[in-house]
Amino acid sequence: MTRTQRLFALAALVLLAIVPFFVTDSYTRHVFIVAFIYATVAVNWDLSLGLGGLFNFGHVAFFGIGVYTAAILTTALDVSPWIAIPAGGITAAIAALIIALPVAKLQGIYVVLVTFAFGQLCLQIVLSQGDLTGGAEGLVRLPYLTIGDYKFIRDFKFAYYYLALAILAVSVIVLLLIAQSPFGKSLRAVRDNPDYAASRGISVARQRVLVLVASSVMTGVVGGFYAIYLRVASPEVFGFSIATLVVSMVLIGGAGSIIGPAIAALALTFATEAMAGVRGMEEARFIIVAVAMIVVLQVAPGGVVDIFGRLLGSGRKT
Amino acid sequence: MDGVLIPTLVSGLLLGSLYALMASGLSLIWTTLGVFNFAHGALMTLGAYIAWTVTEQLGLGLAAGFVAGIGAAVIAGVVIELLLVRPFYGSRNMMLITVMTTLAASTIIERGISVIWGPRLKQLPRVIDGQVNILGAPVSAHETLIIVLAPAVLLALWWYTGRTRSGRSLRAVGQNQDSAALIGIDVPRTFSLAFGLSAALAGVTGVLLGSIRFITPGLGADPLVNAMIVVIFGGLGSLGATAGAAYVIGMMEALLVLWLGLYWTPSVLFVALIAVLVFRPNGLFGKVSA
Repeated sequence: MTRTQRLFALAALVLLAIVPFFVTDSYTRHVFIVAFIYATVAVNWDLSLGLGGLFNFGHVAFFGIGVYTAAILTTALDVSPWIAIPAGGITAAIAALIIALPVAKLQGIYVVLVTFAFGQLCLQIVLSQGDLTGGAEGLVRLPYLTIGDYKFIRDFKFAYYYLALAILAVSVIVLLLIAQSPFGKSLRAVRDNPDYAASRGISVARQRVLVLVASSVMTGVVGGFYAIYLRVASPEVFGFSIATLVVSMVLIGGAGSIIGPAIAALALTFATEAMAGVRGMEEARFIIVAVAMIVVLQVAPGGVVDIFGRLLGSGRKT
Repeated sequence: MDGVLIPTLVSGLLLGSLYALMASGLSLIWTTLGVFNFAHGALMTLGAYIAWTVTEQLGLGLAAGFVAGIGAAVIAGVVIELLLVRPFYGSRNMMLITVMTTLAASTIIERGISVIWGPRLKQLPRVIDGQVNILGAPVSAHETLIIVLAPAVLLALWWYTGRTRSGRSLRAVGQNQDSAALIGIDVPRTFSLAFGLSAALAGVTGVLLGSIRFITPGLGADPLVNAMIVVIFGGLGSLGATAGAAYVIGMMEALLVLWLGLYWTPSVLFVALIAVLVFRPNGLFGKVSA
């Protein structure tokens, strides 16, 4: 993380913080909020996939677990949304611990298969436990966020915008700090040369458990926020589509750079939302994103951040 | 118990047969190229849709439909190999990159299918109508055909990879690409061959499944996940281990559904899977590491 990158991140944050003063319509703000949510999932995924080099394909399941934790707590147990949202982070972390148990010892493709199967298992559990989860229809009419009498939905989603931005900003700052810390350096060592890292006393298994849990917490929290914000929880959150969309954000942005996936998440969310408005593009937009991901992998494996980095001549990813 | 046990075992055999067909295709590509094809389920779905179009819409009959469906899957499989896998040979992260590109391919095929065919459910006619009596339990003839056909296909595959020249070139390339090239094997052609063959297996599964389940754009998703569980259990190393694991999982699933019901079966299977992996990280029968 160079000085220029830090300045860039700060400038981006200030810019996004003043956006609501210029963008006053509810729909554009909604797209921003959704983009912040996806960006949070993407940057946290980048911690395990990009920085940690762990082939974790179950990351979106942590998001889904956050969604359903908040939804079930608020509907079945009447818990306040203010408690249900952070609770999503706790259940996601517990899920990460469980999945880390086998993953810590596995190699290569088996990590992909187990984490992927884990996401599908979550989907099957949600579908089969219909009494609690609403089954295929999901849960609807969750309570909305309020402070006193003030509803967050008022003033064209003003408050939701800042809460979503805050969750993303906290994630990015924490992840950048992790990336610079000795722990982050040891993660990269494990990624780039596992044998050498192990010979220098880094426990690969322990790193994997830590990185999975660390990447799950904010993902679960933002999942809880997503459920409360949209006031629905649907089993689609565990599906192929969201996973492919978010992984393409990580790859198009540049795996391992944290900032890159955040930028790509904003760009891709606006692009897919714009395409959703065009007739006949509802399905085709996912095809376009998938093609874009393949093209980036072929021409610029380091992602968009890498291209900018090379243009500016300012060297490597974090 | 007798009245339930036989149908349960038959359904276990049926599931095992379908999983074996799916998983052996995945295993074939993995052992030859070291690529895990996430578009395998989508190829299966594509086969089923093409078969339906030729059979029902063009009215050319089921046999023509089967040939067209399997042929379409093969073409799509070879195209995936050429466009999405070949550019990354020799790359340090090839395994990971091809997971992403084949995942993207699966999105493209699935979404493409819903654009072309729409969301309405479709179904293929059965190959054989009527029922067969197996040990006093009535089983549909079509399902019996699948149970008989799957081991036959697997045996043919086993014979092909072990006894024929081009089949053995697949194994040679899987073991050592450089040496294979040195003794005159066309390695890139062999890669295409592996993808085409695997796609054919996906196509066969698709057309068989298309007449016992409704055909939707997501038809291949569930079988793919189950085939993944099979290859985790059996390891990706050999055809025999994969097929064995397929039947073990199929039987387990059928018995669990009988004892615990549909609700808890996936969870119990997954817990069993984690337990196997904690103690045997390369799968139940696996020796070759990834």
